[in-house]
Amino acid sequence: MPVAGVGQSRDGHRIFTRNQFFTVTYNRINILGLGNLLYGDEGFGVEAVKAFQSSTDYPDVVQCIDGGTQGIYLLDYIQSCDALLVFDALIPLEYDSGVYVYRNDELPGFIHRKMSSHQMGFSELIGLSRLSDRMPREIALIGIPPRNLELGIGLSPENADLLPEAVEKGKALVDEWLKMMQ
Amino acid sequence: MAKKIVVDPIPRIEGHLRIEAKLNDSNVIEDAFSSGTMWRGIELILRGRDPRDAWAFAERICGVCTTVHALASVRCVEDALGITIPPNARIIRNLMNATQQTQDHLVHFYHLHALDWVDVVSALKADPQLASSIAQSISSWPKSSVGYFKDLQKKLIGFVDSGQLGIFSNGYWGHPAYKLPPEVNLIAVAHYLEALDFQKEIVKIQTIFGGKNPHPNYLVGGMACAIDPNSDTAINIERLAMIKKIIDETNTFIEQVYIPDLIAIAGYYKGWLYGGGLGNFLAYGDFPETSLSDYKTLLWPRGAILNKDLSTVIDVDPREASQITEEVSHSWYTYSKGDSKGLHPWQGETKPNYTGPKPPFEHLDTDKKYSWLKTPRWKNHPMEVGPLARVLVAYAKGDPMIKDTVGMVLSKLQVGPEALFSTLGRTAARGIECLQTAGFMRHFYDQLIANIKTGDYRTFNGERWDPTSWPSECKGFGYTEAPRGALGHWVHIENKSIKEYQIVVPSTWNASPRDGNGNSGAYEAALKGTPMHNPEQPLEIIRTVHSFDPCLACASHVFDMNGNEITSVKIV
Repeated sequence: MPVAGVGQSRDGHRIFTRNQFFTVTYNRINILGLGNLLYGDEGFGVEAVKAFQSSTDYPDVVQCIDGGTQGIYLLDYIQSCDALLVFDALIPLEYDSGVYVYRNDELPGFIHRKMSSHQMGFSELIGLSRLSDRMPREIALIGIPPRNLELGIGLSPENADLLPEAVEKGKALVDEWLKMMQ
Repeated sequence: MAKKIVVDPIPRIEGHLRIEAKLNDSNVIEDAFSSGTMWRGIELILRGRDPRDAWAFAERICGVCTTVHALASVRCVEDALGITIPPNARIIRNLMNATQQTQDHLVHFYHLHALDWVDVVSALKADPQLASSIAQSISSWPKSSVGYFKDLQKKLIGFVDSGQLGIFSNGYWGHPAYKLPPEVNLIAVAHYLEALDFQKEIVKIQTIFGGKNPHPNYLVGGMACAIDPNSDTAINIERLAMIKKIIDETNTFIEQVYIPDLIAIAGYYKGWLYGGGLGNFLAYGDFPETSLSDYKTLLWPRGAILNKDLSTVIDVDPREASQITEEVSHSWYTYSKGDSKGLHPWQGETKPNYTGPKPPFEHLDTDKKYSWLKTPRWKNHPMEVGPLARVLVAYAKGDPMIKDTVGMVLSKLQVGPEALFSTLGRTAARGIECLQTAGFMRHFYDQLIANIKTGDYRTFNGERWDPTSWPSECKGFGYTEAPRGALGHWVHIENKSIKEYQIVVPSTWNASPRDGNGNSGAYEAALKGTPMHNPEQPLEIIRTVHSFDPCLACASHVFDMNGNEITSVKIV
């Protein structure tokens, strides 16, 4: 499964074939990992997208992107797909440890209780995409509340243990979306 | 009784910046303090690592400008190890850097800063007919029909009526500091949305050369991409043609949308020339035409200006121990030989020492230490870095292209060069630079094609890739002009691994706290003297701080661990 890039062909089409300003979208599913690898569990999203990519063998319609903490620059990855799965560290309103999944309309309510400004950025991206009528048909967020946010690379043992479950939940969603697209 | 207001957090991108401003009885800012409220310490993560890997970690320092840290890092390690890179690698790096700068400026203007000048809600009242004729009078950009503005306005009204003002919901709409007529507001909102779409295109150049984005691949010794006009997998004819198309469209957008909008908007704010600040400017320069060490060939030149004196540009040497220093008299760090003694980054220390109040708190004790940012100084002077610094250094050096562009913008606005020393001047300089750098993209593209035509496909020099070829100890300096200003990385390599790594980022220069002599940093100085209409709605403060394009993710990390706001005044 290639990482999203310019000019990679898929089903004989160019992914970024476009009119002057509008990205033409095909049946495409983007898996976007958000977070900063340098701050422990804050890197969950990036670790998760890597684990997802290495443990799955989906066709090229599924693209994995390490989004880091980019804000507005991730807009194309949100708008150029039909279905978007985001992995990110998150703090739900009330929580214990565990893997949390939010879908479609469940998202904004959650995101408004922001816990880091890159999520603020992400919620802005959703707002901007709505304004431009460029929302993916399906959107889901899978996250784990962070335990350790100290400077340092690597997830806490507890969160590392939850990683496979998060990836499995992601696969279930992607399987469902792929069926919808057929 | 003097009032004190606190604005926290400021950047729309990332990071925690807190501004405390003291107002006099007439609501004029008498004094201001800028504080980074989250600890940084990225340098510590690099200790002990293979210097060839440093760029991949450095790329994660900043939430947004990944590519500039990767670039400064590979340049730094190459400098230490004495590696020269092939011409293609130099040109590709220049192209990627120019791409980053152009895209970043466009996004800053439309999506981070425009709403400090443009009243979105006022656009709902605009006359589309009039908006169309104004748009057509300032630019030949084709999307300017009455129907276009009518449709957009309808959509905007629908959006607002459905309670989805969303990203626009926290603005100070209707604030008297907004001066644009409704029609100009509508044009600006239209271009806000068009720029949003367009910026997605520009960055594809990074993806082509860097293999992926937003974290493109860099490589010590050159670039990781292969060039072969006839290969399917390399940088080939087709990909080069795509790059050319993006470069042309970028130039068109900047010429026909960004610059006319900038001039049209600025025309209504000529009476608001606050925010000039220090008047000291520093640029390391960038875009080498030969090697990086031959700084006389940099297309954006190197130099320093003091006290707004455009008749003299002083030489700068960031390797010189007495020139670039960081001290910590007002920063939450401790130095082994005294906090007010500035250390050159090669001698730099990173030992955190938080002495501030326990959050949440009302005010910082600004007589003592009050920021997680260190205090960088050039020959003991506080300096402003960024587009205004670069444009002024090039202008004062007599660079013919920049003189033309600056002259064009100033004459359209009917103001003199002194108007550049202001918040608006900083914003205008960013547009001027964007236009110039977009032109450089064409220049580098032509260079790349010409070099490939000679049969030179090399992008990597592997002579010193093997650590056994390295000296037992060496030091290096790598620099770039990031969109937000001069960025420097300094490395000390010992026994094949990183012993010390120090980074001085643009926002640390601009957002720095006071130094031991009591001199304010650039934000602090720029805010002084600004009258505020209503301290509860600190639009004027935001305007000036945004004009620097703050990106405190570089300067300190982003996390709000408890989800608590320490905010007295919330910012859009």
